[in-house]
Amino acid sequence: MASVKLTDVKKIYDNKVTAVHDFNLEIKDKEFVVFVGPSGCGKSTTLRMVAGLEDISEGTLEIDGEVVNDLQPKDRDIAMVFQNYALYPHMTVYDNIAFSLRLKKVPEDEVYERVTNAAQILGITEYLTRKPRALSGGQRQRVAIGRAMVRNAKVFLMDEPLSNLDAKLRNQMRAEIILLRQKLDTTFIYVTHDQTEAMTLGDRIVIMKDGYIEQVGTPQEVFDTPVNLFVAGFIGSPQMNFLKAKLLQEGSGYSVEILGAKIPLNEDQNAVLKGKNIGSQDIILGVRPEHTTVLFDRADNAIECTINVNEMMGSELHLHLSSANDDRIIVRLPTVDLTKEQRNSLAYGSRMYITFPAKVMHLFDPETERSLIDG
Amino acid sequence: MKQLSDLEFLKLSKGQKFGYKLGRFFTGIPRAILNFFLKIWGFLKKCGVSIGRECADIVSTFIHGDWKTKTSFFIMGFGNLARGQILRGLLFLLFEIVFIGFMVISGGYWLSMLPTLGKVGPSKEYNELLDVYVTKYNDNSFQILLYGVLTIFFIIAFIYTWRVNVKQNRIAEKILATGKKLKSGKEDLHSIVDDQFHKTLLALPMTGIIMFTVLPILFMILVAFTNYDGTHNGYTNSLFTWVGLDNFNTMLSWSGGSGGAQSYAATFGEVLIWTLIWAFFATFTNYFLGMFVAMAINKKGIRFKKGWRTILVLTIAIPQFISLLYVSKMFAKNGIINGFLMDMGWITQAIDFFGDPSKPWLARITVILINIWIGIPYLMLITTGILMNIPADLYESAKIDGASGWQQYRKITLPYMLFVTGPYLLTSFTGNMNNFNVIYLLTGGAPTNAAASSASGNVGYTDLLITWLFKITTGAESKYYLASVIGILVFIVVALISLVVYNLLPSIKNEEDFR
Amino acid sequence: MSETTAKRHMGLKTSRAITNTTIHIVLIVISIIWLIPFVCIVLQSFRVENTGQVGYVIPKVWGTANYSNLFQTDFPRWYTNTFIAALVTAVLQTVIVLCMSYTLSRFRFKMRQPLMRFMLILGMFPGMLSMIILYRVLKDLGLTQENATPGLILVYIASSGMGYYVSKGFFDTIPMSLDEAARIDGATRAQILYKIILPLSKPIVIYTILTAFMGPWGDFVFARYIAFGASAGKNVAVGLYDWLSRDQISNNYTMFCSGGVLVALPVTILFMFLQKYYVEGVTGGAVKG
Repeated sequence: MASVKLTDVKKIYDNKVTAVHDFNLEIKDKEFVVFVGPSGCGKSTTLRMVAGLEDISEGTLEIDGEVVNDLQPKDRDIAMVFQNYALYPHMTVYDNIAFSLRLKKVPEDEVYERVTNAAQILGITEYLTRKPRALSGGQRQRVAIGRAMVRNAKVFLMDEPLSNLDAKLRNQMRAEIILLRQKLDTTFIYVTHDQTEAMTLGDRIVIMKDGYIEQVGTPQEVFDTPVNLFVAGFIGSPQMNFLKAKLLQEGSGYSVEILGAKIPLNEDQNAVLKGKNIGSQDIILGVRPEHTTVLFDRADNAIECTINVNEMMGSELHLHLSSANDDRIIVRLPTVDLTKEQRNSLAYGSRMYITFPAKVMHLFDPETERSLIDG
Repeated sequence: MKQLSDLEFLKLSKGQKFGYKLGRFFTGIPRAILNFFLKIWGFLKKCGVSIGRECADIVSTFIHGDWKTKTSFFIMGFGNLARGQILRGLLFLLFEIVFIGFMVISGGYWLSMLPTLGKVGPSKEYNELLDVYVTKYNDNSFQILLYGVLTIFFIIAFIYTWRVNVKQNRIAEKILATGKKLKSGKEDLHSIVDDQFHKTLLALPMTGIIMFTVLPILFMILVAFTNYDGTHNGYTNSLFTWVGLDNFNTMLSWSGGSGGAQSYAATFGEVLIWTLIWAFFATFTNYFLGMFVAMAINKKGIRFKKGWRTILVLTIAIPQFISLLYVSKMFAKNGIINGFLMDMGWITQAIDFFGDPSKPWLARITVILINIWIGIPYLMLITTGILMNIPADLYESAKIDGASGWQQYRKITLPYMLFVTGPYLLTSFTGNMNNFNVIYLLTGGAPTNAAASSASGNVGYTDLLITWLFKITTGAESKYYLASVIGILVFIVVALISLVVYNLLPSIKNEEDFR
Repeated sequence: MSETTAKRHMGLKTSRAITNTTIHIVLIVISIIWLIPFVCIVLQSFRVENTGQVGYVIPKVWGTANYSNLFQTDFPRWYTNTFIAALVTAVLQTVIVLCMSYTLSRFRFKMRQPLMRFMLILGMFPGMLSMIILYRVLKDLGLTQENATPGLILVYIASSGMGYYVSKGFFDTIPMSLDEAARIDGATRAQILYKIILPLSKPIVIYTILTAFMGPWGDFVFARYIAFGASAGKNVAVGLYDWLSRDQISNNYTMFCSGGVLVALPVTILFMFLQKYYVEGVTGGAVKG
């Protein structure tokens, strides 16, 4: 149980490629932090630097207030779960879990105690005498977690632990990790490329791209107030829609103009824009699919679109639309309230009208790609 | 040759495409060679820069260091001892003492003799007591050369260790300045099984390689610049000494020796050409036939797969010298093959497979055929594994596209095999160039090539460079210096081939890389 | 089904049957060709009517004299020499090769690439050249002629670090994350080697031992150089080779055959049991280059 503090941590490889730039983060005791980003963004490298598997090129890493840059992994008091489980194939499940304890010369009866205890929590007691080869993916994952658990480490590191599992098992294990976290009550750093995992697991999410931190915040914060186009597009599924639009300053208020529709901003937004002294300019307007209202008939300030694809998801429809600006837009449409007539009118090529209120709009500068309002 | 864009290239006909690739290949050679020398130049430059940096670092360490560091420049390990790292300090100190002791006792002598390789040869001295002349042995050129080289190795090792010693002082000062502790002897001992474990593991193998591979090679390279041979063995008959590039001139000159003897260069050329022909056929006949056998055994519907494989694999187990010697005797004039052919009435006179100088190609082709017999089981094994790795869906999709068996082989199997086994083919080719055992045990180089033998040694039509080299060292004259020259030339040929295959091919594909 | 398609189907079946029969015949012929020399050598080792070379295969008079006569010669000595060399080499060479290949597979140190390139270049020099100097050095150490065997062993194992390719290729296939997991679990590098990597590398360890053991049985040229005519220092290859020299062949040809059988026997039996590992090593090694 410990805090982890990274100050200006950098990773530069021998070929002068910088994988991680000035990483600054303070992780509180017992916090669950998720590093998320597309592959190659440096999230795993950062985790491996915390683990001691990669050298830290610059900056300092502190665990519990002690600088551990030069310590061997085993001396950092951390536990780690690997993506491909990294179970020792020639050892039984019991020996796998007991390996670290035996290296520390823990008495054999205590080893027994701790291993069986962990096995019980994870529900793998009946497999203890088997070799990893004879286990399913989910069971192997539990063994890997068990191996990390028995060490009672200060920090628990997980490197994409669920990405080798199939979708169903993944959902199940995700729930179990939440439970496990409550039982273990320790500091977690979790790496994933899957934003759903990040949102559901993390107390805080660190979104990374190309070795830089893009945004750090609680799941709610990064969802509601993404600071730039990348974060806005990365978090949320289906992805946020991005439309070409104009920001107009008229007297004391601002409004967004898009394809003839003109939507005035609310007071909070006006205040921020005015505070930043922003005038009229081109913008990229971001609207989440679930925040869009679909109309079947023409209306004021509604945008006319054509239907390209109609995806039936069961409880809702995903409509892929294109506007006169040739922006691609996805909207979600609950099926419960639709009449039969309305459903029939959703064929390829037919027209639709969409609208959205000011409070769900995200405004981005097309040049800097940063949010004009948030961050 | 001008580079075409992808679309232009695709428009070419089949023949044009081939011609284009061939042209690119050959026009690429000068560039590859240039590139190679540029690389060497770059490497040398890097060496120069880093030596300069090291020197600057040494000087600055001395200037900025404290008195412990400064003393360490003269008494190695002093800084370690003074700072409490007893184990390290003692090791450094011991090494310095051993080094100085060695240099004083013998190293200096070997170094001083190295430029001449000895001054006084064996002499006859009159022994009054016995009333006979006895030979008194004096300098030993061989030992001087060997220990001279060793001494130089030792000096280099000393300089390196001294540098490490200096560096450690600087690092230690830095660590102490930040208020941290130095590693204790116990931690040092622990690190040799942990973070420094690779050095521990490499110590023994590398010592062996340096003493028994690097040193002999270096020595023999030097011998190529001396006149070391049977009549100048450096001790019991007469000393040998440096002769500069004379031996290379002899080997590479086209003018023949006295009495109409063939020149060395002509003999060398003859043997080299046969060596290359042999290596080519030995490699590719085995490769393709081995692959065919493997494919035949792998084919669906063939029974006893394991049985066929075991029969062939077991022949690998039998030591090669037995099978080679036995087969060579089978092909002897009074051997089983001739006996069989005569019994069948196909021939009336025994065929002299390996002894007839008027039919060099009979011997050569027989050797290649026998080598197929030797090599196929091994190649069958290698290719079986790879063939099974080719994804079955490739074949399935090719079948649906309408490819015949031969087309499947040409378009799927062969490209895949060549891609995967490319490096193996290269090592196999160079290995065959130096395939001493097969030639020496089968034919011993026979039949004799009288014209070529007039240059030196008993050169035969099936002799490879490597067997010729061996014969030169064992003959009455034992021209070690010539053997060394041949060895160096073999190295150059092998290195050149490897260089072309390794560098040229990829460099044509990604030529942007070195522009 | 129309008549033509029926014909086509028939055609497919029969043509397949014809190819398969042909292949079976070819394989039988190949097997015979490959086995003939070995059958001959065994048959001739039991031929007692004549000790020289003859043009027929089946002995006219059968007997075991060739085997019993072996014990009147230095053959047992040669056999012992070779066996000891093979045994010691198998152990030490395996240790060295494994050290080397484990290091080059698992550690990323500064000199790794240059070291591998250096050894590649070293391998391009004909090894035969080193013989001259090694012979003189071993002679100074008193390890030639009658004492050739220890000298041979020394030379065999000293350079064996160069043959790391195959086992390194195998080690490379063991995921690095196992090492990493073990490091986090608190294992030192040495513990990783003997607790994780070695137990997982049984096939390649056996392969290395097997090839190291087989090497000395077939070594001819260097052994001959070092033994330098001293019968007590020869190994089987040199001894048997000399029996086939021009002036000895008429007396010793059949004894060469019986000696050959005795040499091939233990190696072949060993090989038969460990064939699986050999095949694994060879196929794995070739792909990695």
